[in-house]
Amino acid sequence: MIADEATLARLMASAQDGDKAAYNVLLSEAGMWLERYFRRRVPPSQLDDLVQDVLLAIHNKRATYDPTRPFMPWMAAIARYRWVDHLRKVYKHESKEIEDDDAVQDSEEEVTLARVSLERLFSHLNESQAEAIELVKIEGLSIREASQRTGQSESLVKVNIHRGLKKLAALVEKAD
Amino acid sequence: MNTSRENMIAGLADDLQPVRRITVQGGLLLVGFATLVAFGVSVAVFDFWFGMFEGEASSFFWVTNGLVLLLGLASAFALVMGGSPRVGQRENAPGWSAAMVAVLPMAAIIALFTGEANHVHEGLNDPVALMCTRASLAAAALVATASVLWLRRSAPVSIERSAWLVGLASGALGTFAYGITCPLDTVSHLGLWHVAPVAIAAVIGRIVVPPLIRW
Repeated sequence: MIADEATLARLMASAQDGDKAAYNVLLSEAGMWLERYFRRRVPPSQLDDLVQDVLLAIHNKRATYDPTRPFMPWMAAIARYRWVDHLRKVYKHESKEIEDDDAVQDSEEEVTLARVSLERLFSHLNESQAEAIELVKIEGLSIREASQRTGQSESLVKVNIHRGLKKLAALVEKAD
Repeated sequence: MNTSRENMIAGLADDLQPVRRITVQGGLLLVGFATLVAFGVSVAVFDFWFGMFEGEASSFFWVTNGLVLLLGLASAFALVMGGSPRVGQRENAPGWSAAMVAVLPMAAIIALFTGEANHVHEGLNDPVALMCTRASLAAAALVATASVLWLRRSAPVSIERSAWLVGLASGALGTFAYGITCPLDTVSHLGLWHVAPVAIAAVIGRIVVPPLIRW
């Protein structure tokens, strides 16, 4: 069970004041939330690295959280930012099957997840860009393999990845 | 949860220190203070133009500086807000303000081509154009430095947007800080040489700022 928005916001406010116990709980809860958030958007082998990367970013930027505002959108914006950065850095990986199990979510979190979902970011890309990023950056195919799979030329795959990531970066905070 | 993450969380929690929250007001104060310093330096170097309060300034002087100030305020506010991560941001006040300011050079160009420009300081041969551009950009550099320092402390998640905003805000506020010391108040001078620094600063910001604020 992942804590609700109000609890997370309260824990974060306490953490900003130096409450170590609250911070431990907050990061644990945030870690679980992030794990589910990223599950279908990074290969399983990279999932924990990305979650830890975001937790570290939350730690380093904790002073920027405004306790009068909701916590989840703050964390989700950081998660999106680190995720796009991660996609940029990761180029070639062994192909891994993306887990396809949808975890049961409670209704409040469903709303939050729907609002900040990574899937929604992908919906802003055109089909070719989304496909190229999915295959190369997430499934770990090489450019050549992605080219063969999609029928796009290798150059076009590269261009679509470049433009798609640029668009994703611009959408980090803009998209709902 | 795996052991590696548990250890990391335990380590971070153990090292936790209270932090001073970064607020929108703090960012605005910093950018505002830098603008005041830029204004003070401009006055010290070029003297304050008291004529503006004695009826010597044309209405275009007030319109230009007013619009440039508005663009600076809108951009500075958006820049500061962008330092705090959130999703669903949609405000585009800087874009609309920039569009309004872009009307000024168009007015200047129309004035030039319709024979309105008959003053030595008007048009593309304006002898003080370079000085006004340089002085505005120097003032903008002060505001840009403060903006970048603030963004480095905060957490911008739209790097390109923040970079544009640093350029726009610093260019507009810097140009305003210098602009109200400049007694040249014709359409062509103000419309060209008190708007060009804003555009130049925006482009410089877009190119130079991203590596400085990426985290």
